[in-house]
Amino acid sequence: MLTRRHLFATSTALALAPSVRAFAGPELAPAAGPLLVCVFLRGGMDSLGIVAPVDDRDYVADRPPELRLLADGDKPALRLEGTPAGHDFRLHPEMGGLRELYQDKRVALVHASGLANGTRSHFGAQELIERGIANPDEASQVTGGWMARWLAATGAAQTPAFAAVPGLPEELADHADTICAADLRGGMNVPGGKQAVAVFKHLYVGSSAFEQAARRTLHGIVLIDGRLREPDGKVVAYRPGGGAAYDDTEIGRGLQSVARVIRMDLGIRAFAVDMGGWDTHENQPPRLANLAGQLARALGAFHGDLHDRLDRIVLVVMSEFGRRLRSNKSNGTDHGHAGLTIVSAPHIAGGVMHGSWPGLSSARLDNAVDLALTTDIRSILAELMAGPLGTPAAPAAVFPHLEPKKVGLI
Amino acid sequence: MTFEVDPRTALNKLAFGPGTTERHDIAKTGLEGWLMQQLRPPTDDDCAARIAEAHLRLKYTSKTPEAEVDEERPVGVIAEPIDQHWKTVEKNTPGQERTFLRTAVAAATLIRAVHSRWQLREVLVDFWHNHFNVNALGDNLVAVALPAYDRDVIRRHALGNFRAMLEAVASSAAMQIYLNNRSSRGGAANENYARELFELHTLGRPAYLNALYNKWRKVPGALDGHPQGYIDQDVYEAARAFTGWTIEDGAGIGAGRRLPMTGRFTYVETWHDNYQKRVLASEFDPYQSPLADGRRVLDLVADHPATARFVCDKLCRRLVSDTPDPAMVSAAVKVWTEERRKPDQIARTVEAIVRSDSFGRSAGAKVKRPIELYASFARAAGIDITPTPGLLGELDASGQRLFGWGPPTGHPDENDYWLSSNMMRRRWSLLLGLADDAWKAGAPRIVPAIAEKSTPEEAVGAAHRQLLGVEPPAKITLAIVEGMGLKRGLPFDTRKDALPLARRLLAYCAMTPAFQTR
Repeated sequence: MLTRRHLFATSTALALAPSVRAFAGPELAPAAGPLLVCVFLRGGMDSLGIVAPVDDRDYVADRPPELRLLADGDKPALRLEGTPAGHDFRLHPEMGGLRELYQDKRVALVHASGLANGTRSHFGAQELIERGIANPDEASQVTGGWMARWLAATGAAQTPAFAAVPGLPEELADHADTICAADLRGGMNVPGGKQAVAVFKHLYVGSSAFEQAARRTLHGIVLIDGRLREPDGKVVAYRPGGGAAYDDTEIGRGLQSVARVIRMDLGIRAFAVDMGGWDTHENQPPRLANLAGQLARALGAFHGDLHDRLDRIVLVVMSEFGRRLRSNKSNGTDHGHAGLTIVSAPHIAGGVMHGSWPGLSSARLDNAVDLALTTDIRSILAELMAGPLGTPAAPAAVFPHLEPKKVGLI
Repeated sequence: MTFEVDPRTALNKLAFGPGTTERHDIAKTGLEGWLMQQLRPPTDDDCAARIAEAHLRLKYTSKTPEAEVDEERPVGVIAEPIDQHWKTVEKNTPGQERTFLRTAVAAATLIRAVHSRWQLREVLVDFWHNHFNVNALGDNLVAVALPAYDRDVIRRHALGNFRAMLEAVASSAAMQIYLNNRSSRGGAANENYARELFELHTLGRPAYLNALYNKWRKVPGALDGHPQGYIDQDVYEAARAFTGWTIEDGAGIGAGRRLPMTGRFTYVETWHDNYQKRVLASEFDPYQSPLADGRRVLDLVADHPATARFVCDKLCRRLVSDTPDPAMVSAAVKVWTEERRKPDQIARTVEAIVRSDSFGRSAGAKVKRPIELYASFARAAGIDITPTPGLLGELDASGQRLFGWGPPTGHPDENDYWLSSNMMRRRWSLLLGLADDAWKAGAPRIVPAIAEKSTPEEAVGAAHRQLLGVEPPAKITLAIVEGMGLKRGLPFDTRKDALPLARRLLAYCAMTPAFQTR
């Protein structure tokens, strides 16, 4: 049936790019609810080098000064309020931007959190977290990535998601439509222009995975590229809001692309961003300082840019695992267990480090070597779904194996 | 048993697509003869002359004008030994001298992918470079070590014996740098190499049982000396076994003395953790002879049944399909295990995969990765490759960064990954650029012949036959002819723009699902 809405949709698509009409899906409603942005720190962030109790005896004993946060020196770590009593918890000195968000109560931290599984494999741990399961055998009972399931649970199974990464990320595995573009600064055109679009319209009509992907790509381009350009076709440089400026780093480009797509109001609700380089087995101190600074500055820019929309944005930063308490002789740290989850959302108990702190004495460590896990990351995600994301029915559908424990964010 | 499958299917999987040489060879010796030759190629490099002739521009500025470089540097420098390349590590040598070596190996790789007669070796070299991934873009010291790694480790053993290859990898400068073993010291060893040795190079993630067991003796089979898998305790112990394995990188060894600066493998006894160890339920006595601990670990992991399953499954997924027939994998595992002491263990295993029943039924199962797309197009359309920075840059941007993938997994080998909207756009732009010779890296020889066809549909037919060996389905001809705004039956060859149109429609024929998959 030809409804008014359908007519409107078609005419909008036509106005955008007449030749690509065939690929325009139904026009999306303006974003129906809050948005979810997931930042994945690939390689295993050394959470004990990012947030740690600097006066803890075991912490001091088990790591040389250059591999731990310090309360004094030229660059003392930044003091955090709202942390477990009895210790001086501090944040990496390069993360001033993150501390501001924490002090503004926009950001909460959950330490000793992560994957409830003993794997220390990057790829095993990433896959389980991204699939939203704790054990490989659960994979037979749920499909796809946890973000894809959240979208399905909120009735947005057919709505595009956006990933600021080159290849399809696992969090969105099996989602029907994910637009991938690591960097929008060059636009997102169809190579070959209108002629190519006219050819593709009849070339890609079959049901093979390749043809479906080709059609999705064209559809994604219709959605996004037209909104990146001046009428003469030139790509408009992005002007972030609030005077914010993004660094030209992987995470800076990624969050800038996400912010830009959020400002397009396309009805996209799920966004995935990656930041690599956290696997610091060797020469960790300068590398971690660099990564911490890049992450904090990008998060600061993102919040400054979208200052007028923060009441609808939920952002979560995660990594596959934390790293070993004791360092190795390469001035680095090896794979560990529990890590740190950073949450930014409206109306949460921000400015607080949630979760119970297990301590760092040998008896308290997981397998006597790694920070023990006290919060399953899925409990954090479930609480965000129930609270600021406004989808209280979603957790049971997204994490059918989980009995969520109260984290205290809401 | 003779090898009877559609030659095009075989060449799409065991070669970078059909080329002129294969057509001749197969006409002469049949597919069976071709396969037997491919499994036992001569050791010399049939592209050595082409590589020696190739040049890439190297340009950098310096504070002192006499140190500035702007020249066409021969790609052939990659044939030099590692100690020659290691001279670029000296202080004040610009980083471009080091990164050039990665670019040059990538250029030589493309030349061989397109022109080498020993296509199966090239396909397996690509497989092993991903299996034993190193990242020369992340650390330019890896780039310095890359020519030797490519030549003496990956190429030398690509069809050879896995245990021999494993030790060549373990003692290579590239892997020593990339997974940090060169800085590992007894007392608190660096676990990076040992962990990936188990997880990615040998037993594989399915055999990592750490979520189930946290004591070695609990692993099923451990008390009989045959543990089913490995746990973190095995990783810790193996890391200790490899302490002292390092390279001559100038590191201090005490009393003000330093290792030489050659990049060659060496062993530093004083860095080795000499006490007893237990790996995969096998006891290592203390104070073994130099290198013995590490070699014993390599023996144990190479011989483990999980390694046979993991590597054979990966080979089947690379060569055949994302979901290989279990019978095919089993056939490969059997040969891999039985022939594991043979110098051509890998060739024999590949032969078992190729001769299994389902091999011939797997046409089109894999989406071509960008290098495969590039090389198969170049081979089918007749491009005589001149590697240029433009071409190499486009391929990097395509998502398949040769010797530049960050994590030690190597590039993903699942169709879905290569079908994201970003990757799809890159596939289109790569083919349009190749057809137009946008990067001055060699024009398709077939274009003038396409432009000489008298109608657009005949031109599409010629392009399609050239790329795919068959007439195009009517729908495809129609999509391309009408999409390009041409009219069927109207003159084509007499148009002024016949050449640019011919390039375009050649690119569109390569964008069909049939050409994009193998």
